[in-house]
Amino acid sequence: MHEPNEMPLRLAAFLAEQEPDWSDIEVTSYEVMTGGYSRLLAKANVRHADGEHVLVLRGDPPLDKILIHTDRSQEWELVKVLNEHAVLTPSARYFDPHGTGLGTKALIIDFSHARSFLPYAQAGGSLQGLELKLADALVSFHRIPLDDLPADLERPVSWDAYISRRIDEWRRTADAHVEDLPIMRYMAGWLDAHRPAPVPLSLMHGDFQSANLMLTDDGEFEMLDWELASIGDPREDMGYFKAIAQIAPPDLLDDVACEAFCARYRELAGMTELQLNPAVVAYFLILGVVGTVRRLLEGGADYARGTNHLFASAFNMNSVQYGQSIWLPTTDALGPILDMLAAAAKEAS
Amino acid sequence: MLTRPTTEQVLIGIANDLRDIVAPEVDSEAVKVLLGQIDQVLRGCATRAAHETAWIHEEADSVSAITGVEVGWPASLHLDDVVAWYDTVSRVLSGALDDAFADGDTVRVADLKTLLDARSANEMRIVGALELVGRG
Repeated sequence: MHEPNEMPLRLAAFLAEQEPDWSDIEVTSYEVMTGGYSRLLAKANVRHADGEHVLVLRGDPPLDKILIHTDRSQEWELVKVLNEHAVLTPSARYFDPHGTGLGTKALIIDFSHARSFLPYAQAGGSLQGLELKLADALVSFHRIPLDDLPADLERPVSWDAYISRRIDEWRRTADAHVEDLPIMRYMAGWLDAHRPAPVPLSLMHGDFQSANLMLTDDGEFEMLDWELASIGDPREDMGYFKAIAQIAPPDLLDDVACEAFCARYRELAGMTELQLNPAVVAYFLILGVVGTVRRLLEGGADYARGTNHLFASAFNMNSVQYGQSIWLPTTDALGPILDMLAAAAKEAS
Repeated sequence: MLTRPTTEQVLIGIANDLRDIVAPEVDSEAVKVLLGQIDQVLRGCATRAAHETAWIHEEADSVSAITGVEVGWPASLHLDDVVAWYDTVSRVLSGALDDAFADGDTVRVADLKTLLDARSANEMRIVGALELVGRG
């Protein structure tokens, strides 16, 4: 998929099979894209007798270049569901499940013509009110009924079981690494001792960060890159967003905006203040990153063992260490507040 | 054995040349991203070359003092031996943390956490100013 000399012809042939009504198909440009760590990405301009399209191909890299193992079939099925529920995300168009047409298992989606949020923000674009739009964007997919989601997405049996497994993922991640990780074990113990009030499980994006957000002309957030989606606690997406925003500002959930965000989300999703408040978002800042941290550490471990030669795997260890430097002081500040909330919840019940 | 310029100096020199001489000549976005990542990792490697073995020993002394467990010494000062020994030191610390949480001993947890804070501070000296090259 990263062979610009070969791919235009392959793509044109693939599209001819998918769209038998199209004639004179021509791929007028094919451009390898950067911006994702884990997938092969390319943008293609396609022209045929009846129109033009700009498409994005998302495919699996070769086995020794895979940083994060995710399933294109699941991503394809999920994006179709998101499209059906009018979630703002580029439409799913085509799927090559065996790579026979495109050279690797890949899906094709529409190219987004919205603005990338990060460059917009870095150029000084207005952030006013965007914390509310962020709440709208999150609720738009968090509220999709679980029964409508692809059958392949695992359904946890309960919130308690889910959160226990999630916390334990810190321990399992530490155990599986090539060296012992005491900070991970500390985080597991701390998270276990400060569990928040439960909420209904929902679809989670899994990589909900500014780099995966586009801003439409009417000021709404469009979301990209669903490969890490799963079913879990929706507050993990908020915590994850905040965690990444510490490295890649702006933080739309900072001390000033987070309360307004929480109020909007509670109103739309029907949560209570004990279930969602800035302290709980901060709790999930830590818990919500475990899946990505695990995948990054797996990449680093494979690099150390010599079974993965992707330099980004070594580079990404910087992100893990940076994360640790955020989590540790956060537990100092947050612990007493979460203890007070737990006492209030106990009193209320 | 010639020890100067030090490994730290050489690695910083390579990183500077890649940034100042090689990178401006590169047109490919993908290669620019890779060079940006290499720059950060090389500078981290320079700091590790200069301090890693000392920091590991200093941390081991602190772990031994706070946990009360004698952690011994590496088989040699060759890096593989030091890193293997550091893993056993880390396991002592992890075990102490697990026990403290299981006992609900918040004072003990706080004592042990000072070791993690120190470890993280050294890690951030290695990482420096993190830039997520290639995202967004």
